[in-house]
Amino acid sequence: MTPDEQSTLFDALLDGDISEADFLRLEAELSVDAEVRKAYYRRLEMDLLLEEVAAEEAHRLPPVSEPLTQRTLSRGLWWAGLLTAIAAGLILVVAMPADPADQNDRSELAQTIQKNEPSATGFAVLSGQSDAVWEGEPIDNGGLLPQGELHLVSGLVHVELFSGVQMVIRGDAVFSIDSPMQVSMRKGSARAHVPEPAHGFRLKTGAGEVVDLGTEFTVDVDESRSSVKVVDGEVELRTREAEVRRLRDGEGVELAADGSLAKESADDIALIGPAAFQDALAERQSDHFRRWQLATELLRNDPRLMAHYLVDPDQGWSRKLINRASAAGRVNGTAIAGDGAVVAATRTQDRWGRDGGALDFSRMGSRVRVVVPGEHRGLTLMCWVKINSLDRWYNSLFLTDGHEDREPHWQLMNDGRLFFSVKPPEIDQLPPSERERQVFHSPPFWETSMSGQWIMLATVYDVDQKLVTHYVNGEPISRESIPEALLVESIKIGSASICNWSEPMYRSDATFVVRNLNGCVDEFALFSGAVSHEEITSLYHVGNPNER
Amino acid sequence: MNQHRTDDSADSAIVGLLTECQLPLRLYIRALLPGDPAAGDVIQQANAKIWEKRGDFEPGTHFKAWAMAIARFEVLNHRKRQARDARLHFSSELEETVAAELAEVNDDLAERQAALRECMQSLKPASRELLMRRYASQQPLAEFASQVGRSVGGVKVTLHRLRTALAECIERRLVATGETE
Repeated sequence: MTPDEQSTLFDALLDGDISEADFLRLEAELSVDAEVRKAYYRRLEMDLLLEEVAAEEAHRLPPVSEPLTQRTLSRGLWWAGLLTAIAAGLILVVAMPADPADQNDRSELAQTIQKNEPSATGFAVLSGQSDAVWEGEPIDNGGLLPQGELHLVSGLVHVELFSGVQMVIRGDAVFSIDSPMQVSMRKGSARAHVPEPAHGFRLKTGAGEVVDLGTEFTVDVDESRSSVKVVDGEVELRTREAEVRRLRDGEGVELAADGSLAKESADDIALIGPAAFQDALAERQSDHFRRWQLATELLRNDPRLMAHYLVDPDQGWSRKLINRASAAGRVNGTAIAGDGAVVAATRTQDRWGRDGGALDFSRMGSRVRVVVPGEHRGLTLMCWVKINSLDRWYNSLFLTDGHEDREPHWQLMNDGRLFFSVKPPEIDQLPPSERERQVFHSPPFWETSMSGQWIMLATVYDVDQKLVTHYVNGEPISRESIPEALLVESIKIGSASICNWSEPMYRSDATFVVRNLNGCVDEFALFSGAVSHEEITSLYHVGNPNER
Repeated sequence: MNQHRTDDSADSAIVGLLTECQLPLRLYIRALLPGDPAAGDVIQQANAKIWEKRGDFEPGTHFKAWAMAIARFEVLNHRKRQARDARLHFSSELEETVAAELAEVNDDLAERQAALRECMQSLKPASRELLMRRYASQQPLAEFASQVGRSVGGVKVTLHRLRTALAECIERRLVATGETE
């Protein structure tokens, strides 16, 4: 067999498209020749690797609505889409240079902020971290960096200032972000990438300050000296002795602590730029993503799992949300929930950064309709959600239609509390003060600064322990006992909506209250019975894309 | 999540081992079930079985070999179930050889994947797209061909050429970076 003949047969074999005669021929060769087997493994291995790459890239391909050979039209459309995207990008670039000028009008700007308008404090967002250890409280990815001096004991972080400056900082570092255009650094190494709209950005050290005139530079600071080196572009160096000099590509200097020139050059500071840093993080995240996929696969057979909805990015436009829970292993033969029906919600990026892997419920009327059969001794609800804002009184997570006896309602209040209730039968006969106790509120956990961040919410209604526990990111934030009179031992659900509420009258009355969640969800799970604290925590850790 | 709780740290160690083992495991099952569209299901069952039996694994022993022994069993089970529509399959002698060799093979899968990505950059966009579509779809070749509006023979030849070109490119790269064994 020639090598080409051999590989043709391998392809036919792997494509499931081989004749019996060829199969026997190949089998004979494989049986006697270790080299042929090795070639077979290699070919198969490449197949698997190609599948991996394809799984990551396929959803970026334009859909094949017509055969590829007739693609002139669709290629045209594809270009049109690209042009629109470029145009949108241009608009952003044009709009941005106006920003720094605005800062001069601070007083005028201040007047435009209403008294009760939600606000957050900070000049920069933490966009990524690798093995970062902070002195004091850890800072979450996507969170605002607190004002004042920060101490990064070790590790590497990526900071994005609102001016557009991107910095990678390596610990041990002591620094503060004074404004979107100024960072002071007492100690540590940093690499700053400064885009055009942020030219004039300054980095101050004890020995002087660096004013960026374009693109990228590194600094390395300790008690006795600071060195500056230009990676690309140009900076202006102002020493404490009021000397001003310009440094260009590859040039660097070292200053003594008093600001005097110590050396006419600087050693290279080995620090990767923000782009390379994010690439490295993405690689790490993809490892984590695989672990999560595997854990999800294993979760399918959990006999308590009634519904597990994930949005498949490869499904394109589909209004069906497949329930990934498996009924196969059920001993008691209980039915599980059916597939969900997506209404109005649009597809968006999920927490792993995959396009089309999440549903955005902010459009009016958005919901996923589901039917959950059976009666349940206890209930656990879990979802990964990205909230834009809690701008309605009631912001829905999971609600049965109407609110009948023994049915659960799970939602968020506009003041940032989680709300959970199971309506006890004959509640109407109780005095109002008793009635209110059917609702279990968490303390407020939501702050405007959390907007746009993926978080995991979970609530457990435990009949045996008579407890309702609310969780945020795997941590319990409240635990409250259920009064005996209000305990519902057998919960029913039936027809329900994810991220919205269907009133009893919705079938005939066109007027409805607005309760859809202003946000996105990429995973939703419902368990019959109570899931333990450890299990909730492990669900969070395995599903958290920013796990460090 | 586990039903009968064992030690959490032991579980997370198994999850780690199992995650690392996914590609070799897939390689193994697919090598024994070439071209069988049900291979994906068998891989899933094998994973579930490995997880179920995780208490039997003795830490410190060869996880891959242990996992593959379970996978082999799942392959045989699968054979039994589909005995009636009997697909072509390798003699049990050959299967044993394959099993033994794959359990021992040293993976340089990460290097190979990096090399593959590099090599794919050198393909024409249309070729790259065809490959990605083929590998993202689960369809039989004939169905795929009609979907992309080409003859089965034509697609077969094109895919064969592309795979061969990629395979050569990968080997060249690995030699160049000294990563080959």
